[in-house]
Amino acid sequence: MSFAQPTHLTRDQIDAFEREVNAIRDSVMTTLGQRDVDHIRRMIRICRASEIGGRALLHFGIGPLSWVAGVMALANAKILDNMEIGHNVMHGQYDWTGDPALNSQKFEWDIACDAEQWRHSHNVTHHTFTNILGRDRDLGYSLLRMTDAQRWKPRHWLQPLANLMLALGFQYGVGSHDLEIGKYTHGAMPKPEFKARLDRFLSKTGKQWFKDYLLFPALALWSAPRVLAGNFAANLIRNLWTYVIIFCGHFTDGVAIYREEDTRNETRGDWYLRQLSGSSNLTGGRFFHIMSGHLSHQIEHHLFPDMPAHRYPEVAPKIQALCEKYGLFYNTGGLFKQYLSVMKRILTHTLPPRRTAPAPV
Amino acid sequence: MTVSNHPNPSRTWAETLSSPLRTAFQHPWVEGIVRLGAVEDTLRAVHPMLSITEARARVVRIVDETPDTKTFVLQPNALWQGRRSARAGQFVQLRLEIDGRRVERIYSLSSRPGARLISITVKRQAGGLVSPFLHERVKVGDVLTLSQPDGDFVLPDPLPEKILLLSAGSGITPVMAMLRDLQARGYPGDVVFLHVCRNPQALIFAQALRTIEEEFAELSLLVHFDDTDGPFTAERLQYAVPDLAERSTWMCGPAGFMDVVHRHWNSYAMAAPLHSERFVAIPAVPTTAPGTPVTVLLATSGKQFLTQGVDPLLVQAEKAGLAPKHGCRIGICRSCQCTKRSGTVENLQTGEISDTPNEAIRLCVSVARSDLLLDL
Repeated sequence: MSFAQPTHLTRDQIDAFEREVNAIRDSVMTTLGQRDVDHIRRMIRICRASEIGGRALLHFGIGPLSWVAGVMALANAKILDNMEIGHNVMHGQYDWTGDPALNSQKFEWDIACDAEQWRHSHNVTHHTFTNILGRDRDLGYSLLRMTDAQRWKPRHWLQPLANLMLALGFQYGVGSHDLEIGKYTHGAMPKPEFKARLDRFLSKTGKQWFKDYLLFPALALWSAPRVLAGNFAANLIRNLWTYVIIFCGHFTDGVAIYREEDTRNETRGDWYLRQLSGSSNLTGGRFFHIMSGHLSHQIEHHLFPDMPAHRYPEVAPKIQALCEKYGLFYNTGGLFKQYLSVMKRILTHTLPPRRTAPAPV
Repeated sequence: MTVSNHPNPSRTWAETLSSPLRTAFQHPWVEGIVRLGAVEDTLRAVHPMLSITEARARVVRIVDETPDTKTFVLQPNALWQGRRSARAGQFVQLRLEIDGRRVERIYSLSSRPGARLISITVKRQAGGLVSPFLHERVKVGDVLTLSQPDGDFVLPDPLPEKILLLSAGSGITPVMAMLRDLQARGYPGDVVFLHVCRNPQALIFAQALRTIEEEFAELSLLVHFDDTDGPFTAERLQYAVPDLAERSTWMCGPAGFMDVVHRHWNSYAMAAPLHSERFVAIPAVPTTAPGTPVTVLLATSGKQFLTQGVDPLLVQAEKAGLAPKHGCRIGICRSCQCTKRSGTVENLQTGEISDTPNEAIRLCVSVARSDLLLDL
């Protein structure tokens, strides 16, 4: 994987592309209304019912079958809360409603990641500097080497293991992401700043542990181990699922990576092109799209982060047609195929780069 | 004369009960387990009037006052404290959700303070959003969210000896509440109620006014119909109410009507106080050309600054030495989003104009097109 080639489009074509993408955006944003609010409120209702049902099964159920059902229901609630509800609400997709329960800046979610830190690491850093090496901290999560452009270090021998650990504890990976530990250990962040970030992270993690691993097990009295194990399993399932979906968003084969110097003075059109070439989609049905928080439409999400996500399937064919018209690559595929290419990339970059003849300068 | 000494009502039982619950559910450790929103939605599902955060009211009757005016008689829930605290002339803010969007409008209470049922009277504004919704979509049994009563357009304590209640069109609503209050309090002084409207068909509260006139001996009821009596002027006012200069006056009506009366009052330097209420819910802030210097007031910090040039508000604030929270600076991340309480801004990316109060705006892509009040 090398850096993105300069686009074959002329300045005029990029401007025309920008106008066409804007028109697609407007076609949805001018029709926002009741059905969008109804959708997200329905998701919230299902999420709550699923959490209550799941916890009830874990607390009062008898036998392993009800335990499994309880775990699935609770995992479903957490996935919906994190993906289709939390992630999308925090992008401001429903700010136009004026409903404080759907306010991007006030929303808090059921995960070890503090919402305010998420809004910074995700909305500010990742969505603005998508796939710019050195700026987009989601590129390998400061843990994995995903491109030749990242310098190989001996610790990358352990990359497959690190990847597995990240998958299992994804909520802590996401939660500690905004701490920027590397920056702090290199002396680039003052201690009080790091301490403040660490306190926020620990406070949120503490609240999650209190809820899932102390309060609810304690309330279950003699069923405490059953509830504890159930809550742990539900968190684990959520971690694995969100990890797989999110890794398929930007690390698949054919996703472009950018140099910072190439992205200075970007127009909106340039920015659209970078978002498009830096993201990849997953194919699937309506249920799959909802369970992925519509991150299966990562391309549309990166073009229009504040468009209610359940509208992405509506604009996706138009974006795809536009890509065809301008000769641009629209990266999409099934979950299995896409994740396989991610794994291939992780494993390939585990190895040190082969010594080749130095390129002529 | 100052009328801002609101009586401090003692807390109702509902407030005493719900306030600690509210505090508990807003505690960060509790919030992580049960969200207040979930509690509220559950309570609402149990009964639409049930809430620990919101004053709500059920529509119990809808009265057609004129072909384009309806009175909504409402039964508030126990969190509405207005039964004890409301004063005649005050308004409530009604909150509705129309096509997924929350909208708020101010309506004067037309009912007598202290009454068990309250009422608002709404004239249908052609091309409007909220009044047509209220007229066409709201049915008996529906539950609306409303604010506590507020406003300084009220009768003083003690009452003056001579009163004029002056209104035009749908401006009759707050003074109607005052008239009902005067009658209920057995006001011994002398009150003139002068209302201006087009014709008898457009007369709001026709029946109620007749009843009050019969029962309330101290009242002189005067109605001016523009269609038959000609346009209402200061001379006609002076002629109809010869002792105008001695009457403490409460006035509400369209801007043109009130301007006429204000000018008359000033040109004769009348001694009696003139109180007025503009019932235009949204004060129209004139939109200025891009780049015109405007004043931006920050409600939370109490700071303010003057804009220079055509830069977005974030840059303007930074130029003024402020440091509002921000992120990407190009309209993606929403870190700089804040509530614009009043004024007009233009979104530089979409060209959209936001001129409704209490809309969320992003500082990094918005330019001021009028004086602004921001929640910062």
